[in-house]
Amino acid sequence: MAETAESSSRSPDTEGSGRQNRLQRYRDLQFSEEELAVILLTPVVSFLFAVSFYPIFDTIVGSLHTGYVLEMNPRQFVGLENYRNLFGEGPYLDQLLNGGGIWNALRVSLIYTFVSVPIELALGLGIALLLNRDFKGKYFAQAAILFPWAIPTVINARIWAWMFNGQYGVINDLLMRVGILETQFPFLAKPDTALIAMLFITIWKTSSFMALILLAGLQSIPDHLYEAARMDGASRLRQFRDITLPLLKPTLLVALIFRTLPAFQAFGLPFGLTGGGPSSATTTLVLFDHQLTFNRLNFGEGAATATLITLIAAAIAMIYVQTLYEPEVR
Amino acid sequence: MSNDSDGFEIERFQWVGKKVGFYGSIFIIALISVFPILWMLITSLKQPGNVVAFPVEYIPRDPTLENYRAAIEGAPFFRYMLNSAIVATGTAIVDVFLGALAGYALSRLRFRFKLPVLLLILGTAMLPFIARLIPLFSLARSWGLLNSYLGLIIPYAAFQLPFAVWIFQAYFKELPDSLEEAGLMDGLSRVGVLFRIILPVSAPAMATAAIIVFIYAWNEFLFALTFMTEDSMRTITVGIALYQGEFQYPWGTISAAVFMSVIPLILFMLFFQRKVVEGLTATGKA
Repeated sequence: MAETAESSSRSPDTEGSGRQNRLQRYRDLQFSEEELAVILLTPVVSFLFAVSFYPIFDTIVGSLHTGYVLEMNPRQFVGLENYRNLFGEGPYLDQLLNGGGIWNALRVSLIYTFVSVPIELALGLGIALLLNRDFKGKYFAQAAILFPWAIPTVINARIWAWMFNGQYGVINDLLMRVGILETQFPFLAKPDTALIAMLFITIWKTSSFMALILLAGLQSIPDHLYEAARMDGASRLRQFRDITLPLLKPTLLVALIFRTLPAFQAFGLPFGLTGGGPSSATTTLVLFDHQLTFNRLNFGEGAATATLITLIAAAIAMIYVQTLYEPEVR
Repeated sequence: MSNDSDGFEIERFQWVGKKVGFYGSIFIIALISVFPILWMLITSLKQPGNVVAFPVEYIPRDPTLENYRAAIEGAPFFRYMLNSAIVATGTAIVDVFLGALAGYALSRLRFRFKLPVLLLILGTAMLPFIARLIPLFSLARSWGLLNSYLGLIIPYAAFQLPFAVWIFQAYFKELPDSLEEAGLMDGLSRVGVLFRIILPVSAPAMATAAIIVFIYAWNEFLFALTFMTEDSMRTITVGIALYQGEFQYPWGTISAAVFMSVIPLILFMLFFQRKVVEGLTATGKA
């Protein structure tokens, strides 16, 4: 490294000696780029190892034990028994308390994820296309549209629980006024409509998030491509299909991953909306895991469920990257 | 009327129709987006007896602040909001600091294993939270961090650090090389360049990262529910989710509490919208 302290006469900082001293200290800290990179990255990487990787590892180990966490009842190695119990018949009491078990939770989470995310993507793209131009009041419109995303999920769940209320809810009132319903309908007390309501709420909440990510992608598409297409007489639809969609592909990939993984981990919405009911119809995997761990203190099976969730999340991320990633697209 | 002006009329009609359609759809989307919050406001202003009326009252008769009084007296909602504010601010500070350091190294320094380190950091964003909950819970318990602000700040900071690192490295990558060269020529060390030249010009990235991290920490529920078991340490999300009335479920009180709790977020969206959007799109653009 060529820089030395000699050039200090050219330094603009000559006002005070305190400042000079500080400057001197900076100059004494001479590191190579690689040394500095190690110094800057070590705290971050070790922090992430301690708070992100170690816990995952510990959960996987814990899934092979019972008596996890509870000190009076130290860990005992049981091999794959937790997994067998999870997928097997399970004790009668479990069935009674739970009604659903892991297969039900898996089904709810998969429906929740793979129904809501495509609809969010389509609606988000529509909103992004609307917002992708200048108009009066755009700032306020955008702020309003972003609202649902900013409201905490679990508070949002309480809000909608009130709006979907089977006796006094505004949604019942509106549907009766329009003539769709004749009398109040207990949306959240019937398994099918409770799940549909939950899907509706999450779509309402996250379409705006999708829209913003896609809007950024739309804005990065150069205008001259569309101009050239117009010159060639390409219709709006063709422009969309042949220019917008292919160039939006990397953004779509990111939006998909960003939404699918959180959707697969849904917890606050069913917790605040229905508590997972009626009869487990809205019990997602994470809510199931949480009930297993904290209501029934079954830490072993809870850790086994968490391990499965980790594996499925990793699989989803890898499938997306494999199918959508194209190296030539920057 | 001649054919010419007919054609003009039709075009004009189509133009007006398009405008109406465009603004109409924007208006409907915006209305659907804000309606639930509006409904909370309307419910919260009703006389407690009229909250559970059917058919529903759309404009409160004799509007009252009674529900707000009940909310403030019934549970320490301001304490909950203070807890949320402390945790969210602390998390944002930690992530801006660590994110800037790592983002600088990953964008402007040459070293071996750069890509694997970047992927390692970003990869932690994909790990499910529930799989980190119990081990971190027992760690927090053995270190006496349950029911403490630090107990939430540490995990939140780790969860959002990948996004902060990403925002900073994207920002630093765009800065001209001449910035550093000028500093090095003036005799600053690399550390000096980082602290005296790069960090001072990275205020926009700091604001973006801080806002995204703040909103995440303010909204988080799973860890807040598990780590804060004492009522006085609960965050606002947990406080509202667990609020129970003495008799039937007090929707009027809850509406008032919810509306108070989202006022900071509403102001945030109105004043910092550009930053929020920048942050979202920065994390969304890979």
